[in-house]
Amino acid sequence: MATVSLKGIQKSYKDTEILRGIDLDIGAGEFVSLVGPSGCGKSTLLRIIAGLEAPTVGDVRIGGASVSGTRAADRNLSMVFQSYALYPHLTVAENIAVPLRMRRLNRWQRLPLIGGLLGGDASIAADVRRAAEMLEITPLLDRRPGQLSGGQRQRVALGRALVRDPAAFLLDEPLSNLDAKLRAHTRTEITELHRKLGATFIYVTHDQVEAMTMSDRIAVMMGGRILQCDTPARIYADPCDLRVAEFIGSPRINVIPAEADGAGRIAIPGCALPLRHRGRAALRLALRPETLFLTDRAPKLRGEVAHVENMGHEFVVQVAVAGLPSRLVLRTAMPATIGQTVSIGFDPALALVFDAEGRRCRDVTVCEGAAA
Amino acid sequence: MMFTQALKHLVLILGGIVVLAPFAVMLSYSLKSPGEIERGTGGFFGAQAPMVDAMCFARNQPDRAALEAARADPPGQSDDVILDRLEAERRDACSMRPAVFNYTKAFTEAPLLRYLLNGLIVTLSIFVIQVVVALPAAYALAKLRFWGRDAAFALVLFCLLIPVNAVALPLYLGLAKLGLTNSYAALVIPWTISAFGIFLMRQFFMSVPDDLVDAARMDGMGEFAIVWRVMLPTAIPALVAFAIFSVTAHWNDYFWPRIVITGDRDLFTPPLGLREFQAGADGSLYGPMMATATIIVIPLIAAFLLAQRRFIEGIALSGMK
Repeated sequence: MATVSLKGIQKSYKDTEILRGIDLDIGAGEFVSLVGPSGCGKSTLLRIIAGLEAPTVGDVRIGGASVSGTRAADRNLSMVFQSYALYPHLTVAENIAVPLRMRRLNRWQRLPLIGGLLGGDASIAADVRRAAEMLEITPLLDRRPGQLSGGQRQRVALGRALVRDPAAFLLDEPLSNLDAKLRAHTRTEITELHRKLGATFIYVTHDQVEAMTMSDRIAVMMGGRILQCDTPARIYADPCDLRVAEFIGSPRINVIPAEADGAGRIAIPGCALPLRHRGRAALRLALRPETLFLTDRAPKLRGEVAHVENMGHEFVVQVAVAGLPSRLVLRTAMPATIGQTVSIGFDPALALVFDAEGRRCRDVTVCEGAAA
Repeated sequence: MMFTQALKHLVLILGGIVVLAPFAVMLSYSLKSPGEIERGTGGFFGAQAPMVDAMCFARNQPDRAALEAARADPPGQSDDVILDRLEAERRDACSMRPAVFNYTKAFTEAPLLRYLLNGLIVTLSIFVIQVVVALPAAYALAKLRFWGRDAAFALVLFCLLIPVNAVALPLYLGLAKLGLTNSYAALVIPWTISAFGIFLMRQFFMSVPDDLVDAARMDGMGEFAIVWRVMLPTAIPALVAFAIFSVTAHWNDYFWPRIVITGDRDLFTPPLGLREFQAGADGSLYGPMMATATIIVIPLIAAFLLAQRRFIEGIALSGMK
């Protein structure tokens, strides 16, 4: 377990810039997710940490020491790949033993046939058994990867990563090849594994649910930059960029165009709000689906129900409001019928205000009793 | 539907007959007596009537000691009777079934076992060195990023287009200048770098997921360890396919050994051995010649039958991942 810190990492292939300056400090034993849409550079960043790619500019430090120029094998990191990347010709036990054999045995002991006579395998076999027991794959040790299901292969890949004691674990979308049910289950298991091992985990995913449920901190990446790196709670409740607000949370956050007049009074189409900005500006108001509610008392928006999803414990209702570019989505316990006209209210204090470029406006104040 | 199926089979059967007919003739001749071969009688297996080996008969003229011994047992016979009896004994000793004659001739007339051993040494040396060269080269071309990689691969493709016969003379001159003609080296060295092998393995390695290579790097392997410990085991089907191409080509090669092996019969490969039976003073010995040919192709057929399943896998390149 060690700290990992990135300083000014840039990466470009020919004319394409993949990473545009990444700074990130990861504490020892921390679980950090790199999350973002595909093509945001998160996998490239992980490969740079691993040493599988070299950054164009910048420095990677593991445990305080710079590892630029150190090859992947010598960085003492473990990685779990999306495709698991198990050696197809080796049994499960042999697969898990590979990192130990490469590190603990000398050249002669690794030779086939002769190597067995020289010994040195006892500690390896014991460690493989320990890892297999931790992941409950002991019965599979003699099988080959081709005979395993996706979930079992995933466990073997985890086993190969945790059989030794690396400085950090790197996980590259390890759950994306599993079906939904298994994914939820494995999510819990990886989180528990992290608690048990107390090791540093760096987890790449495009799935914001995985990032939200597993991490100590989330780094939201887009366009080769980290937009925000914070705890899941802060990322959800207090995003500093509209793109972060839109990426995190399901159903997606509602965005309503708003305007501040010369006096800084903020209004959305058809309704002035008790919010004050420092001056005239085109703004955007973002509202989580759970902050909207159906009401008849002093509604702020009116629209027609366009679609209803019954989730069992609640209804997710899409409302088409005249003058808004996209439908509003809200959660409600009451059923709504399609075509019904409804009135929507929200607490202005819960609205997240962004400027035209999508940056968060933090100098918005709520003035009590000033509602129009 | 039925008709197209039947047509397909018909075409395949005709093709099979065209390819197999010379084999059938070879096998049949290797079993028949010279007379049957010349007259075209005896069916596939020949009558297998005992025949007298003329050379054996001529070689074993009775010497004085044998004559004296025959005269003493029992004593008092005329010389004609004794000579007739000895000749009959000689004829008996030298008569055998044509099939036995052909196959024993194949081994006694020329050192066929030596030739087979030479063939084994040469083809195996060529194949092993080809693999040692082609695997790292193919790995570099498929999985490493370096300046000039595409140009290097284009050169490999270009090498595929060069016919062997075109460069035979310069190759021979080079070897002769180095004083390497009439040696195993002359038979092996020109074939150690196989453009086809590099190309075939490179295409196969392209289909191996990059993650597997990266996983091996994370597990602490160097690039050469990756080639031998990860790529080689996953490439076994492709390697078997390549082995069949390489071993067949060099086991059967007549052209190149004929050029570089000029005097030393101890270095003859099996195809050169076939020449031993070519028209001498007493005409071609087709029976033993075909027996030799049969013996030469048997190792290849056996190897193919053993590797057949893997070979087809290697060509289809399926069952991976």
